[in-house]
Amino acid sequence: MIMTSTGPAIVVDRLRKRYGAFTAVDDISFTVEQGEVFAFLGPNGAGKSTTAEVIETIRAPTSGTVTVLGMDVGKRKAQVVRRIGVLPQNFSSFDRITVRESLQYYARVFGCDADIDALMDLTNLRDRSAARFNTLSGGLKQRLGIAVALVNDPEILFLDEPTTGLDPQARRQVWDVLKGLKDRGKTVFLTTHYMEEAELLADTVAIISRGRIVAIDSPVRLTEAHADQMRLTLKSIDAAAADLLRNLGFAPVPVGEGGLCVPVETPDDVRRILDEIAASGLALGGVDVRKPNLEEVFLKLTAAKPATDVGDHAR
Amino acid sequence: MTPRIIHANLGVRLRSFYRERSAMFFTFAFPVILVLVFGTIFTKPEHLNFDLPVQDNSGSAASARLLEALAAGAAFRVVVVPVAVDATQYAKDHKLNLLLVIPKDFEALQKQRVAGAQAGVPVPIRYVYDPSSTAVETKIQLLDGVVAAANQTAAGTPPALTLVAASILSKRYRFIDFFVPGIIAMAIMTSCLSNALNMNAELRQKGILRKLATTPITRADWLASSIVYQLILSVISTVAILLVSYFVFDVRLHIGFWLPLIIVVEVIAFVGIGMLLTPFAKEAESASAVANAFLFPMMFLSGTFFPVEMMPAFLQAFAKLLPLYYVNEALRSAMIFVDDAATLRAVAVIAAFAAVVFVAGTFKTRWDEST
Repeated sequence: MIMTSTGPAIVVDRLRKRYGAFTAVDDISFTVEQGEVFAFLGPNGAGKSTTAEVIETIRAPTSGTVTVLGMDVGKRKAQVVRRIGVLPQNFSSFDRITVRESLQYYARVFGCDADIDALMDLTNLRDRSAARFNTLSGGLKQRLGIAVALVNDPEILFLDEPTTGLDPQARRQVWDVLKGLKDRGKTVFLTTHYMEEAELLADTVAIISRGRIVAIDSPVRLTEAHADQMRLTLKSIDAAAADLLRNLGFAPVPVGEGGLCVPVETPDDVRRILDEIAASGLALGGVDVRKPNLEEVFLKLTAAKPATDVGDHAR
Repeated sequence: MTPRIIHANLGVRLRSFYRERSAMFFTFAFPVILVLVFGTIFTKPEHLNFDLPVQDNSGSAASARLLEALAAGAAFRVVVVPVAVDATQYAKDHKLNLLLVIPKDFEALQKQRVAGAQAGVPVPIRYVYDPSSTAVETKIQLLDGVVAAANQTAAGTPPALTLVAASILSKRYRFIDFFVPGIIAMAIMTSCLSNALNMNAELRQKGILRKLATTPITRADWLASSIVYQLILSVISTVAILLVSYFVFDVRLHIGFWLPLIIVVEVIAFVGIGMLLTPFAKEAESASAVANAFLFPMMFLSGTFFPVEMMPAFLQAFAKLLPLYYVNEALRSAMIFVDDAATLRAVAVIAAFAAVVFVAGTFKTRWDEST
C-alpha cells in the first residue's frame, strides 16, 4: 500500500511563517535525505518548532513550499500524515488512559495493525503498560510519545524537543531509544536546543537563529569549519618548555599556576609535543586536551548578531 | 468521517469518563438528586396534613363540636395546647406558625348570638400566627374555608354560588410531572456544553490537539465522536431520571418516538454551541466560566424549574430566544400533553437552531492552527 519514494524525504523551499507582524521563520530552505537523522538546532524561539509544525502539516506556511516524500504538505495533508510519525513538543496523552490503551487508540486512528508489545519493548515501557498517563514521569511520557509516533510505522519520524525538561538519566534513556531508531535507518527530523543531543544523534545539523538557518552541515564539518582550534593545556610544567615548544613551531601561552596552553591543529601535534617533552625529561603535572565542539560553534553562530536586535528583545 | 476513528474516540472518551468519578456524579447522579429533592418538596401537597394547635379555653360541648369540624376537614390534625399557658408565648416557644384560641366564654357567646341581647353578632375565634412563615397563608386559607363551611351549616341555607373545576389536561398532573422533563433537558444540555468545552480546553492546553492534528482524524470525525458520546451519556442519564421518577414518585410520562428524537436534536444543538464557544475557552478555568455563563441563565429562564408563564412579559419574550426553552416545550408537549403538533413545532425550532450553529461553527473554527 505504501509506496517507497526514492527522492529526498523532506524538501523545504523558501519557507516563511509570520504571526501578525512577527516573522517566526524567515525564508529558509533545506533538504533532508531518506535515512538521514537531521537535527534542527537553535535557541528557544528561533523558529525550530514552527518549521517542524509546518512540515508536520499542523501549520500552514505564509509563503514557500514544503514537500514530504514528494507530496506538498498543504495539498496532500491526508496522505502525508499517514506516512509520518510525530512526537510533538511536550507530548501529552489522555490522563486516565493507560500506556497500552493510548497505543491501541493511535493504532486504531491510523487503521494499522501495530505490534503494541513490540513498540513497548522498543521504548522500554512493557512493565508500565497498565499505568495511566497521569501517573507517568516525564521521561516515560516522552517514551510513550515516541512509541505513539511509531504506531503507523512511519517513513519519517519527527521529534520536537524530545528531551526538553527531562533529568539527565531520563534523557539518556530517551537517547538510547533514539539511537536504536537511527540504527534501523529511519529518517528522523529532530529539533533540539541540546548540542550533545545533536552531536550524538544527527548526521546533519542545521543551526537556526531568529528564523534563519545560519549553518548547515554534518556535526564534524560544522565544528571544523566554525570552531576554534584544539587546545592542549600542559599543567605545572617546567618554564623551559615554552622555548622548546616555540622551536617546534607552536605558540604557547602561559596560563595560571605555571601552565602552558598550546593551540594545536591535529591529534598528531599533541602526540609530537608530549613525545618531545618526555624525551627532554621536563617535569609535567598534567595534560588536558579540549576538543572544539558544537556548543562553541552554536554559541558563536547564534550570538553573532547586531546588538540592536538583542535590545529589541529585551524591551 | 470514518467509523473506525469514531469508535476509537468513543473508547477513549467513555473510558476516561468512567474513570473520572466526579464527571460521573455530575452527569448522572446530580440530575437524579435534583428530582429526588424537588420531588420530595413538592409532590402531593394535597395530602399534607397540617398540624393545627388549638387552645380550647372553653372546654364545652360547643367547642368540642368546633374541634370535630376542624378535624373532619382532613386538612388539619388538631393538636391540643394546654389551657393554662399564654397562647402567644406558647406559639413563640414551640415555633408554631398558627395557634387557634377558643375563648373561655365560647359556649355562652354562641348562645347569646342565637337568642340574647347580642343576637346576630359573630363569635370571635382568635388565632395567633407568625406572619414570617411562608406556609401560614395556606393554613389560614384552609381555616377560613372550615369556618365558612361551619357558618353555612349554622345558617342552614344552601350556597348561592359554587365553583366547578375543569383541568385543561386530560389527566391530572402534578409539579413533579412538569419538573422531570425539565430536568431531562437540563441534564443533557449541561453535559453536552460543559463536556465539549472542558474536553476541548484540556486537549488544547495539554497539547493533545497538536498530536491529533498529525493523525488522520478530521474535524468531522471529532464532532461525530462527540455527538455519539454525548448521545450515549444522555440516554443513560434520561433513563436514570425516568426510572427514579417512576419508582419514587410514580411519575408516568408518555414515552414514545418523540423522546429519542428530541434527545438527538438537543445533543446536536448543544454540542454545536459548545463547538462555537471553544475559542472563548482555551484554558480549563475559562471553560467552566464560559459554560456556566450560558448554563445558568438557560436553566432559570427556559422553564426548567418553573413555568415560563410565571415570569414577567419581557423575560418570557427573552426565554423564547433560548434553545433550551424549545427543548422543554418539546419534551413537555410530547411527554405530558401528548400533543404531536406542538412537539413538532418545538423540535423544528431546535433543529433549525442546530443547523445554524453547525454552519456558523464550520466557518468560524479551524481544527488546524487551533493550538
